[in-house]
Parts: sequence; structure tokens; C-alpha cells
Amino acid sequence: MGHTITEKILARVAGLPSVKAGDEVFAKPDFVLAYDFPGYTDVIFKQMKEDFGIQRVAEPDRFGIFIDHMVPAATPAEEELHIITRTWCAENNVPLFERKGIGHQVSAEVGYATPGAFVVHFDGHVSQLGTFGALAIGIRRNLLEAFVRERISIKVPHTTRINLTGRLRPGVMARDVFHHIVRVLGPSACRFQVMELGGSGLAGISTEGLQTITGLAMFTGAITAIVNPDETRLAWALPRARKQLDPVCSDPDADYAAVHEIDLSALEPIVVIPPSPANTRDLADFLGIEVHAGYLGSCASGRLEDMRAAAQILNGRQVKQGFQLHVIPTSQELMAAAAKEGLISTLVEAGAFVSSSSCDYCFGRIATMTAGQRAVSTGTLNVKGRMGSPDSEIYLCNAAAVAASAIEGRIADPRKYL
Amino acid sequence: MDLQNLKGRVAFIFTEQDFDVDQIIGVKNIKIQDVEQLAKLAMNSYDPEFQSKVKPGDVVVGAANFGYGHPHYPPMRALRHLGIKGVIAESFSPGYWRGEISMGFPQCSCPGILAFVERWDEIEVDWRAGILRNLTQGAQTSFEKLSHADEAMLAAGGLVPYLKAAPVG
Repeated sequence: MGHTITEKILARVAGLPSVKAGDEVFAKPDFVLAYDFPGYTDVIFKQMKEDFGIQRVAEPDRFGIFIDHMVPAATPAEEELHIITRTWCAENNVPLFERKGIGHQVSAEVGYATPGAFVVHFDGHVSQLGTFGALAIGIRRNLLEAFVRERISIKVPHTTRINLTGRLRPGVMARDVFHHIVRVLGPSACRFQVMELGGSGLAGISTEGLQTITGLAMFTGAITAIVNPDETRLAWALPRARKQLDPVCSDPDADYAAVHEIDLSALEPIVVIPPSPANTRDLADFLGIEVHAGYLGSCASGRLEDMRAAAQILNGRQVKQGFQLHVIPTSQELMAAAAKEGLISTLVEAGAFVSSSSCDYCFGRIATMTAGQRAVSTGTLNVKGRMGSPDSEIYLCNAAAVAASAIEGRIADPRKYL
Repeated sequence: MDLQNLKGRVAFIFTEQDFDVDQIIGVKNIKIQDVEQLAKLAMNSYDPEFQSKVKPGDVVVGAANFGYGHPHYPPMRALRHLGIKGVIAESFSPGYWRGEISMGFPQCSCPGILAFVERWDEIEVDWRAGILRNLTQGAQTSFEKLSHADEAMLAAGGLVPYLKAAPVG
């Protein structure tokens, strides 16, 4: 019996010839990532010194810290948190990426998404580094273990394989693929497992689209997602890689907990209705619902193909009077690229409010909704209170649907504008 | 160091699948840090008299994929403050599981638990034997074994004491 890509990566970092799903091992992460957030980084920095007597991390190049939440700061306390982070990174000689964009995207841009690498973070959306064949797992506060020990304890996860076939039709995007997976397999289909993507349809999905799908993996119950990297993903990731590693792939006879097939050409746009990421529905059944705000951004969406889709729909049209459309590119690199393509001017001329990259729109820190308001959003999540008042509502959908809805002030089907 | 058995009454049963634990205190209260205040808010929308009924040592029971969504720490801090010693569910969402195990809060994955207990039954989770006993109904069932690391973390009382005690990996 062969091995999954996950088993191969964990065997290498555990220093073992091979491991199988279910084995408990101690593994050395190639990279340890975090964004500064109260209760996480400030606590970890303090515990490192006070509880474990560790003044400096031994191998600073294994670490990467991002300042992407509370950017720009709105209170002195937020800026003080950033100062703690900057000071710690300087003292430890650890790379700090501030105001470069959302960390899960920036970490790929700066090479932490090294194919074959094992990466840990406290935040589960780091799973999107799996696009490039890295095994990236969010372990919440257990991240402390990676700051005070060389190796962390981990149970080798089982893998559910999802084979994609066919090709997406116009107006249907990567987000719809993910929401469809939740819809047909259920919100716990990959519980405690790795969601591995494969199949002949994979090559037809853009690298950005795969970042969207893998970044949302947690809502299938998966601890991460991973792709066997093909030439396109490797051509993107290898020149940026921070470590020399041999990329690995699953063996054809690898052992999977389950294998599923999804025909991309049959998919329709999906809307995820409040208040749970499990509430996946056909967009067509929710057309006409009044919405007051639109968010195009987040670590899941907000990349070039999302902005292109929105710009195509909004080109020569106007956002409805009074509707708040926020477009926040996932990183500064992507914002610059969008500007060079002319996407930013198209969006701004249509009435969109476009801002530099920040996580803050996704969790309601800014552009905060009040009771009774409703948003269409490409953010990560639609639970109560996520973007403001617990009595506001979030409908998750693809970037094209956000743009179409912005024109009408109602949930709209993007396909009529294509 | 052995993990102490859970032994107490089933103080509440959350029957909703994919349960979002933030609802225990209410989403609008999720940023409250004061545990006394959190404890006062806990369970109000489920059973307004919960706080007078619950006793130290009690446990709560959940359905499949318990902790789904975007779980925060305050709801379970509140339940612990009220004396709840653990959660037994049909199954758990991994993010929630990871977070609460690192807080040293016992979680027991027991497929079939909803059919096996009624509210206020006295139960015992015998970690070593791998058996969950319903002392009220005189029945027993098995549950999914903890990983070595999770068991050691719970026995130590959470992530920091576990890491202090654990041999360097």
C-alpha cells in the first residue's frame, strides 16, 4: 500500500522512514507562522519567557509573523499589541511582514508555501498553503508547543480524497466548488482528516481558486487541505520557496478514508445562508433578498480572478445608491497587480470603496453592520455577529455574485451580467 | 499521572448537530472576559434556571460535530466556572476539540451518546477502561480513545503544564 502526500511529509519531519494514518509522532515543523492577535501571540511571547525560560527562538528562519489584523490600528491598545510584536520579532531576528496583506496569502508570496513543507499556525485558514503541496495545519493555542519545543506531537491524519472532473461554467467560481463540497459531503465529511484534491478537473482551476478552496477546508471538518502540486503550482511556488525540499505527491495506491468525485461542469452558483457555513443553498433560490453591504475580500477570496470577475460585471455600471461595496484585495502585491490591470479604476468608478489589504473587514472590526443589515460576502464565515451586530446577517457567495448584488441592492445572479 | 474519571450528572443535552458553542453565552457577549459575568449569562436561552440546577462535577452532552463554526473560548470558561467538568458528544469539530483540550477541559467522543443518556442521568467516563457508564440506567458503552498527547495534556491540566512536564520531543 502506498502513502498519501500527508504521510510522506509527516514521515520526513518526524525523521521516520514511513508513517501511516493513526500513528502518533513528534514532528518538526519546517515553518511556524502566526499573526499578531490578543490572547495568541502576546501570550505565547510571554509564556515562552516566563513559563519556559526561553529568551530567543533557536532557528528564527523557521518562523514568520504577520501584522494583518487591526491594520491600521484604531485604538492605542491595538498599536501597543503591534509594538509587542515588532519588538519580539526584532529581538528574535524573526521575519515580520507588516502591511503586506493577509498573512495566509503573504506567506505564500514570500515562500512559506514551500512544496513538501510542514507548516503550523494557530489559525486554520493556513490550510490554503496546501495549494502548493505544503501540509499546513492550524493548531490553535497548541502553537505554543512549536515555540518552546523543536518538535510537536501530532497524530498522522487520515485523508479523504476528492477528485474533480469537468470544468466550471461562466459565473461559477472556486468558492462554489468549496460550498458544493460542504453541501454534498456534509460539514463533517472530513472531520479530523486532510481533504486532498485531485482529478482531471484540477488543472482547470486556477492557483488562486485552489487557495480559496483549500483555505476554507475547516468547514468540512478537515484539519487542512492539500493538493498534489502539478507543474503550474510548482512553477509559482518553487522560485519563492524558503527551503530546499523535494516536492512529494500521493502514491496511486495510497490508502484513503474515502474517495469522492465532483463534476465541476454540473455546478451552479451557491449562496451560504446565515448563520452557519453548513447552510449551502442554490443562489437561484435566494435572488431578490435585499442586501445593504457587499464584501469582496478575505484570505479566501479577494484575489485577481475575484476582482476581474467583479470588474467585468461592474464595468460601465454603478453600485446601487446607498449600497456599501467594499473591495479589499487579499494582499498589497495583488492590489498593485489589480491596479496595473486597470481593475481598481473600474471598481472605483462603479462606486466600490477599495482599501488596502487587511483582515479587519472579515470580522466586522470595520465596515461594521448594525442590527437588521444584511451583507453578501466572500469572507470566510457567516456566523452570527461575524461582521457586526449579532442581529445582522451574512450571505456568502462568489465575487461575481457580490458584484451583481451590489448593482441591484438585492441578491442577484451574476450570469445575467456576463 | 492518570486522568481522573468524569463522574456526574448530565446537566444539559445539546441536540443540535454542528452546534456553535458561542450560543451558550450568546454571540453578543463573546468579547466579555470576566468569568463571573460570563457564568451569569451562560445557558440563559436554553434553561434560565440552569445555574441553580447545576452542581460541580456535572457534564454536558452534545450531538455530532459539536463545536462547528468559529468557536471562542468564553462559553466553555463560563461552563467550567459553573462546575461543568467535561463534554461528551457524538463527535467533535477539530478546532473546538484542539482548543478545549489545550485548556485542560476533558472532551469525550462517544458515538451513540444521545440515545444512551437522558438529562440528569448520573454517568461516569472511565478513561482507563474506555467505558462510559450510565449509573442511573445501569448500562455501559464504549467511546473513542484519546490520543496519548491529548490524554497527557488533560491529565496535566492543560497545554502549559503538559509542556512543562513532557519530555522534549
